[in-house]
Amino acid sequence: MIETFFGLGTLNSPQGYFAALIIGFCFGFILERAGFGSSRRLAGIFYLRDMAVLKVMFTALVTAMLGLSTSLSLGWIRPEQLYFMPTVYGAHLIGGLLFGIGFVLSGWCPGTGAVGLASGRLDALIFLLGAVAGSVFFNELFAAVKPLYNWGQAGVSFAYEVLGISRMAFGFLLTALAVGCFWGSEYVEATRNRGGTYFRSPFLKAFSLGLLIFSAGLLLLPSSQQFPAGSGLPETGRPSYPKHSDQQLLQAIEGAADHIEPIELADRILRREPQLLVVDVRTPGEFAQFHIRGSINATLSELVEVLQPYRNAGTIVLYSNGMTHPAQARDALYRMGYQNVYILTDGLKGFIETCLKPVSLRSEPVPQEFAARIAAWRNYFVTRATTAPAPERMVESVKVPGQLPGLVDTAWLQSNLGETGLKIIDVRSQPEYNTAHIPGSLFLATDSLRGVIDGIPSRILPEKMLAWHMEQMGITPSDLVVLIAGDAIRDATLAGVALERLGHSNYAVLDGGFGKWLVEKRPVDNALPINLSKSHYPPPTGQRPDSFTVTAPQVLKLMQQPGTVILDVRPKDYFTGEKSDEARAGHIPGAVNRPYTEDVLTTDGYTRLRPLTELATEYAALIPSKDTTIVVHCRTGHQASQTFFLLRHLLGYRNVSYYDAGWTEWAARLELPVSNGS
Amino acid sequence: MKPTNSNDKGYWNPYLAGVALGLTLLASFLMLGAGLGASGGIARVGAFVEGLFSRDHLLHSEYFGQWGKDPLSYYLVFMFLGTFLGALVSAVLSSRLQFKLERGSAASPALRSVLALLGGVIVGFASRLARGCTSGQALTGGAMLLSGSLLFLVCTFIGGYAAAYFVRSQWND
Repeated sequence: MIETFFGLGTLNSPQGYFAALIIGFCFGFILERAGFGSSRRLAGIFYLRDMAVLKVMFTALVTAMLGLSTSLSLGWIRPEQLYFMPTVYGAHLIGGLLFGIGFVLSGWCPGTGAVGLASGRLDALIFLLGAVAGSVFFNELFAAVKPLYNWGQAGVSFAYEVLGISRMAFGFLLTALAVGCFWGSEYVEATRNRGGTYFRSPFLKAFSLGLLIFSAGLLLLPSSQQFPAGSGLPETGRPSYPKHSDQQLLQAIEGAADHIEPIELADRILRREPQLLVVDVRTPGEFAQFHIRGSINATLSELVEVLQPYRNAGTIVLYSNGMTHPAQARDALYRMGYQNVYILTDGLKGFIETCLKPVSLRSEPVPQEFAARIAAWRNYFVTRATTAPAPERMVESVKVPGQLPGLVDTAWLQSNLGETGLKIIDVRSQPEYNTAHIPGSLFLATDSLRGVIDGIPSRILPEKMLAWHMEQMGITPSDLVVLIAGDAIRDATLAGVALERLGHSNYAVLDGGFGKWLVEKRPVDNALPINLSKSHYPPPTGQRPDSFTVTAPQVLKLMQQPGTVILDVRPKDYFTGEKSDEARAGHIPGAVNRPYTEDVLTTDGYTRLRPLTELATEYAALIPSKDTTIVVHCRTGHQASQTFFLLRHLLGYRNVSYYDAGWTEWAARLELPVSNGS
Repeated sequence: MKPTNSNDKGYWNPYLAGVALGLTLLASFLMLGAGLGASGGIARVGAFVEGLFSRDHLLHSEYFGQWGKDPLSYYLVFMFLGTFLGALVSAVLSSRLQFKLERGSAASPALRSVLALLGGVIVGFASRLARGCTSGQALTGGAMLLSGSLLFLVCTFIGGYAAAYFVRSQWND
């Protein structure tokens, strides 16, 4: 049995590309030989002048159809190995009509346009540029076109099923129609244009007869191949997303395809995996009765809004009692570009059955080791969920800032406003803060956390001075501090570094900052917190100044250790030395340039870090392992604080040092080596 | 076989070319697991070009955004490249490579250019709407006997014949 690139999921691999290139080569060669490098000849079909397009295309269609039907019914290939496009009646109807108009206007279609270009036709070049522009227009207008794009979805639909006849009978009728069209074409050419080379020719008679006999012969073959179950569901529209056979499903789970098994989910929740969002799509009533601990509740209609911040960041798992609704939601989300949505195999019922059912109630014997795991799951998911009061569960269910330091989202912050032990620190400019801020938040100028240390400007202040600042703001070591930046995330991460110097790891940065808060129309006010009481904040007694800040001599030493990665996060032209506002231009020899601006994204009116999955991939290309020794620096430590925070707290690099004196010091100390250029 | 007429400038017999094309499509089914496609490659180029102007915008657009930050890493891009190369080899071997704007001798180059561009824009847009073009839907989906693809094929002819009359002057001699 044949395994295809699609079936193996390797269509978009170097081998798949090469195979596609070869197939394309044959495609182009034959089209050119058929005379399709000429727009005039192509357009001829619409003026009944030259019917070559119809003859070639219909012959090709019938040939491939007969070949494919034969292959399927003889079991040479299974349907799962093939990508069947979904039918969307409205989109195909309107798309077809428009396409026909564009075809006759230009005289080209996409495939023949490539052939025309290769034949030197200027009009093919113009056509192709237009087609690129048309694709871009479609993308830009997608919001408006989308209802039409999805109008009349019928999933994978076969014409013979719709007509209620067998595949082979339909194939025979189509072949007969093709033969009729061939004779009609030859007749038209013969009578109107004195052409019709093949009209009544022995060749056409033999060819017609051959096709009809072949397709009639197929009627004798069994036509009851099994088509993928659930072919009525809307497809995802991407060839690289195969439907699963049982065996593939197992492989797919291992490769994290679209299902997640109850046991895997239970273990991942138990491990408190930070980037895991479990969503219960049942009604709030059902959710209140019982839900998987750590999940949040969002009905299908709310889903898009709730999941927006998690698009392609981390793992989203949807569950309901069964699997139908989550599967539909997953398909819909996939079409919206979510590639990180998974559904829980067998839903909540399966989860309870597999993980939470007491050993005593199980019909089959349970190995001791598995019984221990069941006990651990029950302890976590059953005991707590049924005894904890509902409101606490709701708080806990919003993405808990369990991994700190880390990010928290706006919804979580809003639902926790006013909680004791939560201190919100706004690090935007003072005028911005005075105009509007999150209720109860305090202003902090990040410049007040830095000063001249050892003659070097803009270094983070010693812990005693930082502790004094905390006392003025009424912060205690046990408080959860949430930092609010505007567009400059580095302001928040700089304050974060200062907190870490105090050993205060109980802090988080608001994802999307004040901008997102505002865009989401969450509450703001402009009152100042008068009568703020001071607190007691004893400076830490550990390592001075902290365990992660490094000095120039330490950097020099680390540089000489094999494997150290020095990340210079300044803009590229400062790295290369084209620009400089320090004593010397250039960078630390061997340093890698990764501008901090590449990690952020401004969209919908606010700035945030880019999806962590993307950043993880990009950094993995720069840094060999999570244990690699990394030094991040910029000019003064401000920009580098953002990369430091990202690598150490969000991407899980364990060995990140922060050179806060940065290029200011390095450039001025003439004994230190400098490189120029890229 | 009769001698070729004036229409057939050394072209292959259309039926035999059709058989060859059908076998190529069949090979595509059996090797790739997917059929032929051309507009997909063009749209990927569109996404790539858009990304050159604004990567953020590309990644956040709902349609192109789903193709990720490297839209050209897709098999249909390579198939399109192959189509071009195959046609180039054939055109050179048969001495049909000729730099010209193809049009009726009595039609102005401007008219022909404008129609080619406008047609291109419509075809680019319609291919996205219909999730494929003559290659990916009509031919490939047609051979798979898919309802939507056959509907697309029929509608392409309806649209083409309906509009043909209005743009016939570009082929006037």
